Amino acid sequence: MRNTRRNALKFIGGAAAGALLTPVPWRLITDTALWSENWPGIPRPARGPITARFTHCSVCPAGCAVRARCVGGQPVSLAGVVGHPLSRGGLCAAGVAAHQLPYHPARLTHGPVEAATGAIARAAANCNPDAVAALAACNPADGVAVLDLRPGRTVSWTYRRAMGALKNGLYLTAGGVFSGAAVDLSKARTVLSLGAPLLDGWGTPGNVLAARAGFRLIQAEAIESRTASLADRWLRIRPGSASALASGIAAALKKGSVAKAAAATGLTQQQIAGLADELTQHGPALVLPGADCPEAWALNELAGASGITVVARQEAPVPEAWNRNCAPVTPLASVADGSIRTLIIDESAPADYIPWNAIRPKLIADNPVVIAFTSSPRGYARHSLFTLPTAVYPETLEDIPAAIDSPRAAFRLAVPLVAAPAGVVNPAEFVARAAGIDATSALRERADAIRQAGRGVLITYADGRTRPVAQIAPDDFWKALNEGGCWLDTATRPSAPPHLDWAGIDVQPAESRRWPLVAVLAETAIAAAPASPLMTKLDQESNLRLGPGTAALHPDAARQCGVSDGGRAVLETALGTCPIRVVVDASLPPGVVQVAAAPETIDICGAGARCRVLSL
Amino acid sequence: MISEKKPGKICRYGMAIDLDKCTGCGACMIACAVENNVPPANPAATDLTGITWLRVFKVDNGEEYPRKESVYFPMMCQQCGVETPCYLVCPQQAVDVDPSTGIVFQMPERCLGCRYCMAACPYHSRYFNWWDPKWPAGMEKTLNPDVAPRMRGVVEKCNYCHGRWHAARERAAQAGLKDIIPGDYVPACVEACPAGAIEFGDLNDPASAPAQAAKDPNSFRLLATLGTEPKVYYRSKRPWAKRIGDPSQAPGSKETSRG
Repeated sequence: MRNTRRNALKFIGGAAAGALLTPVPWRLITDTALWSENWPGIPRPARGPITARFTHCSVCPAGCAVRARCVGGQPVSLAGVVGHPLSRGGLCAAGVAAHQLPYHPARLTHGPVEAATGAIARAAANCNPDAVAALAACNPADGVAVLDLRPGRTVSWTYRRAMGALKNGLYLTAGGVFSGAAVDLSKARTVLSLGAPLLDGWGTPGNVLAARAGFRLIQAEAIESRTASLADRWLRIRPGSASALASGIAAALKKGSVAKAAAATGLTQQQIAGLADELTQHGPALVLPGADCPEAWALNELAGASGITVVARQEAPVPEAWNRNCAPVTPLASVADGSIRTLIIDESAPADYIPWNAIRPKLIADNPVVIAFTSSPRGYARHSLFTLPTAVYPETLEDIPAAIDSPRAAFRLAVPLVAAPAGVVNPAEFVARAAGIDATSALRERADAIRQAGRGVLITYADGRTRPVAQIAPDDFWKALNEGGCWLDTATRPSAPPHLDWAGIDVQPAESRRWPLVAVLAETAIAAAPASPLMTKLDQESNLRLGPGTAALHPDAARQCGVSDGGRAVLETALGTCPIRVVVDASLPPGVVQVAAAPETIDICGAGARCRVLSL
Repeated sequence: MISEKKPGKICRYGMAIDLDKCTGCGACMIACAVENNVPPANPAATDLTGITWLRVFKVDNGEEYPRKESVYFPMMCQQCGVETPCYLVCPQQAVDVDPSTGIVFQMPERCLGCRYCMAACPYHSRYFNWWDPKWPAGMEKTLNPDVAPRMRGVVEKCNYCHGRWHAARERAAQAGLKDIIPGDYVPACVEACPAGAIEFGDLNDPASAPAQAAKDPNSFRLLATLGTEPKVYYRSKRPWAKRIGDPSQAPGSKETSRG
């Protein structure tokens, strides 16, 4: 063959056509596709020595024991500790992924953050937060207060001591019927829940589930919640009528008339009288009120549960010196309106969110200084003048008192597994410094006080041992606590919780045209807790739970409101509005809107609030 | 392709799930995602395009109150033991059945993303990576080193935490044993379930929970009439829940589901 241009072109063309019959081009396509699929770079998991560490979860007040699997010192997965006397090996969905909290994209890491706007912000924009206590001390008529959302911790005692050292210092808690009381589910034979999410994150989930087989559960609730669907008996009451039912049961226990309660709840008089009978005849009983009828806690006293299933909450010993000059515990509701100039809110340890409309009236009208310690921009950061970012679990060293379902006192530590980023603030150190007290070794001092008291046992999980505290040296006790050990008080004769006067509860007002719907809060157990980015598996990717900013409606109610599934709308109550995404759910009753609990929604609608949904 | 048989004991791993115990908390779903390096959802993802190797559905009996009853149904790959549909249709041999464990697993490196397996799976337990896997900055430090993250354009599914199986085998080998130490290999969902609703074990071992469940009259397998011999046994004392397991046995039933 001659070397001509035509022959060269024929050869190239033939080679190209022939190559199509070989695997080469197809393989290249696959490889190119794979390369393009990997284009942004898939992260390579780090490698290193694998170790197990024990700690306690501080994402909610339950404080479940945790075994962390660490690779090169970094926790990569968390699991419950089998055999733990308080958490029974359980860990909730939020706790399983809690080691990812430090990396949440919405987490606050730098501060202080000036969040408020308007005149107040302009007036106080140049204030140094370190001078907060001095600010309050300037005028004896003005007050400074710390609002502690999770009392009973060692840091709570630091706040009390700091407020005790300041003029007009106040130590505030949410108060309420649950403060000072604990429940013993293991002794209950009948549990009546008035909308409480008993099987959906209430108390210590593992402990509740372990005790579940021992009691008959009656759930009175307007919707078929998780607890209602798992209860032995679900009583569907009218939305917002839990208070009326509590009144009816109280009346039945006192042999009074239940006609009014029957009309309000939609139950028959026999059903209400039957509930009262069950509480007294199949005892020991326990009544758990929901968020919309906390006063129903008093039913426990009427049902004879006081001192048996409902007991006084026990606290771990504290050093004697702490008790000498500390501010008393003051419920927020008992503070006079307009009396606080400087309010410090500790939101670093997630707990039940108090609506802002319950806090704002307590502040002075002009230029109050609100400082929030938080890692989230969603809670009180929206209302505070200064937001000081804090460390999150598992970056902090803090103690976790016994949960509401633990009749025995406990002391355990959430041990840091990773380092906190630079720039975060330690709330206890901040408040102690402002008040001029030393609290740098408060945890150690308290551990020593517990050791000195000599009561109870120390449980260590690494070796599965339980030892009397009296036999352990103070240094060994402290070391064991830092390695994930748990101190548990000895069981004592239970005492009755604080008495709660039964003032009776008004039956809910009739439906109004302006507010045709009743709000039912969902996912309350994890509302305030920061959540791992992986929680999208439960809402966005599966609809198992209502995601943040969503509200569910019956199809008829949605039609009347002019909204459709997946559409944007506004939830309006007498207190304000909040944007929502609508989910249409035929399993809900028509008069109800089920709202995902979150600071934004709790601010405008508590449980049982009247509301309406407006189409955008 | 069926893998070559490995030395050691032949197991047939399966699960027993007690629907009457499941509270629908979702801890299993999160533990699964953590263990298997499944990324958080893309902002555009929905319940149809998200990746949940294990998904909990709420299922009710279709009745009105007061006869209404509901259960939570954890659904993962049912690990079909016979005529495994995904394995049969895969043109790339990216699906494999391990003869020593009975576990059906996916090899993303081979997958070309045709999604035939997804169409063939009667349980909708396979998930396609529509987007590049992305973790928030810093969160990649929490990835499990035993499991490789998958790329966009491939299918993935539950493999009974195969990484844990390998780790358990390594531990057994280090201890000089040929077989896995009993109880040393447990998938993440089983470990995480606070209600103890999910149990795991070897169906060849008559004492294991799944083997016991297989004999329980209240147990059933999903779509058992297809003859694929799934290795996940569900248990419930509610007859309607059992009927949902294989709707062909109850024609005209009114069951509805949401999840």
